[in-house]
Amino acid sequence: MTHILDIKDLVTNFYTYEGVVKALNKVSFHVNHGSTFGLVGESGCGKSVTVRSIMQIVQSPGVIEGGEIHFSPDSDNGETGIDLLKQTERFMQDLRGNKISMIFQEPNAALNPIMTIGEQIAESYVFHRKNQIIEKILGLDRTGENLFPKVSANPLFLPLYHLALHRPDAFLLELIKKVPFLRNWDRAVLHTAIEKSVELLATLGIPNPDKIVHQYPHNLSGGMKQRVVIAIALASEPVLLIADEATSNLDVTVQAQILDLLKDLKKKNIISSILLITHDLGVVNETCDRVGVMYAGNLCEVGKVTDLFENPKHPYTKALLDSVPKIRQIGDLKSIAGNVPNLVNPPLGCRFHPRCGHAMAKCKEVFPEMTIVDDDHEVACYLYH
Amino acid sequence: MVVVLFGVSVLMFSILMSFSPERRAVAYATSAKQIKEIPILVAKYGLDDPYHIQYIRWITQIFKGNFGYSTVASSPTLDAIIKYLPTTIELNLFSMPIIITLGIWLGTIAGIHRDTFIDHTTRIAAIVGWSLPTFLFALILLMIFYSQFQLFPPEVISDHIDDFISDNPDKFIQYTGMYVIDGLLNRNFEVVADALKHLVLPVVTQVTVVIAILVRVMRSSMLEEISKDYVITAKAKGVDINTIHQKHVKKNALLPAITISGWLVCLSIEGSVTVEFIFNRAGLGLLLVKAATQLDIPVVLAISLLLGLIYVVANLIIDVLYAVIDPRIRLN
Repeated sequence: MTHILDIKDLVTNFYTYEGVVKALNKVSFHVNHGSTFGLVGESGCGKSVTVRSIMQIVQSPGVIEGGEIHFSPDSDNGETGIDLLKQTERFMQDLRGNKISMIFQEPNAALNPIMTIGEQIAESYVFHRKNQIIEKILGLDRTGENLFPKVSANPLFLPLYHLALHRPDAFLLELIKKVPFLRNWDRAVLHTAIEKSVELLATLGIPNPDKIVHQYPHNLSGGMKQRVVIAIALASEPVLLIADEATSNLDVTVQAQILDLLKDLKKKNIISSILLITHDLGVVNETCDRVGVMYAGNLCEVGKVTDLFENPKHPYTKALLDSVPKIRQIGDLKSIAGNVPNLVNPPLGCRFHPRCGHAMAKCKEVFPEMTIVDDDHEVACYLYH
Repeated sequence: MVVVLFGVSVLMFSILMSFSPERRAVAYATSAKQIKEIPILVAKYGLDDPYHIQYIRWITQIFKGNFGYSTVASSPTLDAIIKYLPTTIELNLFSMPIIITLGIWLGTIAGIHRDTFIDHTTRIAAIVGWSLPTFLFALILLMIFYSQFQLFPPEVISDHIDDFISDNPDKFIQYTGMYVIDGLLNRNFEVVADALKHLVLPVVTQVTVVIAILVRVMRSSMLEEISKDYVITAKAKGVDINTIHQKHVKKNALLPAITISGWLVCLSIEGSVTVEFIFNRAGLGLLLVKAATQLDIPVVLAISLLLGLIYVVANLIIDVLYAVIDPRIRLN
């Protein structure tokens, strides 16, 4: 099976006043085509930083300092794909929200409070499907597929649409964007995109989509907002969807609905691969094929969900699984002794050694490399070297 | 709104009532002989009546449009205010748009280019402007541009233009009392140019002193919004950084800046007092200073009420603007 995403030795640091926060320390894993990969770990272990590094939207003062992120959108293509870290910002802009999309943790904060839902979803189309929309407006769409609904444009501006289609960097277009009243000449593009958003919301099972597009985030409930966030991510039909704690802040029932929605979308082949970040092991068990466990900026263990849950190798994975309350709990719930290390001065060697019951002398000196213990099951621990 | 104005009137009236009836009566005395008649004046105008009776008497006169007689201007108070007001409005008509647009623009770029040369320069300039005493800065400007280079004179208009206007009431019609606007309406560009020349230094002074706070508010508000999650959503959508700043962040960041702007409009009209005093512009501020030093109670009361009214109206405009920008506080 080919890899849609192959991450090698990813290093991301944050330069804060207290010192350099070593958030990611050589993280490597891969996501298979058509599968769901889960990334688990407690808060602050670097899950979000990992995916933000993939998208290259790490916020200042974070800097991606090393590694490779190979992305190959086509499954039958045997090549290693493109290294995202070597691409220009312009290339990444075209990729974000187009080939790779992201769903966010907190739907309340993830939506702009003063833009309508329609405008926010429409942005995806306006930025990634502008040419198709203009072709549709001009009646030039050759494919014959009805990708976009027909919206009539002001006939006065039709030459401008032609210009925008053939020479999008024309000076005249730059100029006209600065003229009041005329700057909104391409309204029809936005209207087409909003019409398309209505269709998208309808396919996601949102009631009254034609009303919702004109509403603002504060008019909607948390679950609805999360669906809108998903709609934004799905607008351009990405090949890889990254869900960053997409269900963590929702009610259990809404959480189940959102997870069902994701599974359903995958079943219908609307999205091919998902990278799911969560701290909920139940969600991983239910939705993922493969899983990676992270601790303090390191990946401890990667493998198939079934292998890893039934036969955990890394002491941290074992402890993590032990700390999940079971329905027939025998004895007290176990917690992991000690605290998550400060990433400004992380422990030398294996970052888990101060809390590990099996720590050996070399655990305190050199970081253990990933070793294969089983078919598609890797662990970074000296117990298995 | 009415309640606020009532509060302003009661407050101002109370402050001025704290002067003894005799002190207030002296304002009407013009000769040594009259000083002896002060008790008669006090009795005649009812200056020692109980507080509420005097207040009601005053406020009924105001509702009749009678603001009393101004001894400073030697004319009815209302006439004096109407005569002096255009100069103040003219000054603020030029300084306020500059303050608001330039302030928001500088704050935005300082926020976007955080901790760079642009940011540091704007911030230092803003702090210097804010900490400079208005009168000192105005005097320095006058020293340089008037005494040294004879470029921008004080006062409102040159003497020869003033003579021309008062000599030719049929050729130059004074529609508004603001020379720049009247000059444009009469197509007399000599007047416009001269009035503008007189406006440069006062406007520069006012902009420099008032703009700082707006720049700082806009900058910190930009920084706050830039770190919000919806910015990441927009980035993850593939929106370019310029659109994110101008469309997403700036609009959200404008809200606190608008609050401040409304407040600054009021502050700037009040602040015109110093500017007008130093540049000897016959505006409301100059009138207020004269009236206050000579205990011309009707003028002080009337101008305070007017400022109160401006405050209330400015706040109303802000509320409306808020609703336009922020859907969360829009009423259905």
